[in-house]
Amino acid sequence: MIELLAITDDATPPEPPLVAVRSGGLSALCAPAEDAAVTADTLWRREAMLEELMEDRDLLPVRFGTRVADEAAAARAVAERRTELEAGLERVRGAVELSLRVHAPEPADAPPPEASSGSAYMHAKATRTQAAARLHEPLAGLARASVVRPAPELLRAAYLIEREAIEPFVARVRELQREHPALSLLCTGPWPPYSFAEDPS
Amino acid sequence: MKDKVLAGPLGRDLDPFASDRHGLGDALTRRVNADPESVERGLAQLVLTIVELLRQLMERQALRRVDGGSLSDEQVERLGRTFMELDRRMTQLRDEFGLTEEDLNLDLGPLGRLL
Repeated sequence: MIELLAITDDATPPEPPLVAVRSGGLSALCAPAEDAAVTADTLWRREAMLEELMEDRDLLPVRFGTRVADEAAAARAVAERRTELEAGLERVRGAVELSLRVHAPEPADAPPPEASSGSAYMHAKATRTQAAARLHEPLAGLARASVVRPAPELLRAAYLIEREAIEPFVARVRELQREHPALSLLCTGPWPPYSFAEDPS
Repeated sequence: MKDKVLAGPLGRDLDPFASDRHGLGDALTRRVNADPESVERGLAQLVLTIVELLRQLMERQALRRVDGGSLSDEQVERLGRTFMELDRRMTQLRDEFGLTEEDLNLDLGPLGRLL
């Protein structure tokens, strides 16, 4: 069994034990499948591999745990979804994913069950939504694409950012943090474009 | 592993984000834990996740209508009470099955993006 890590259209061969299985203009970057139990460390090791690959080439990360019998099966899997994968690579070319999480102190961070009335509850919810939008919108404006995920915290979002635009994006996050000292903003990355591997529209 | 933090909170206090680390461990063990008791909890989790998804969608829609100003004060009050009660009931059910808010936050793929 081999495990699929990423799809790329770059011909640079990966370092062994990784292999590139070619199919048309695309390659599936694969690793020998391990049968060890999945732990946080396994995930970090895979993440480190992907990040190393990402330094030299544009890639679409493959969902964790995607395994096929052999290289021929990997080539078939790629061939079957060629158009979609090629479009995906165009979408993320030259870009990385940055993640943003924002925690607000109580009570803004929690649903307001103690609200005295229905109107107060709706008002508190609306305030929270607006607060999230005030952070997300200026950042989305700097991104090629963005995705907001449902989350218990005030905002959890992913942004697809050109490699050269990472610095200005992070500077904007720092600015927003200074403008909103009561909130905790955490921006991490650069990540493989996990949130943009599939067409987000 | 390189430091992945590009910009952290003032004073770099990451405590508010620390709960996720446990979430990851739980998620990994839950996947392989299929004894009868956890099957029931797993089913409850699945059902409550769908209910929570619908609740959030409806709430979002309601907020849009409130924003649009097309509702009377009385209607806003009534909507608010309904959502407040739903919220309370969801919390109760979550507690009953020992689930956290994060447990109902499964990535539903393209569906998840509706929120």
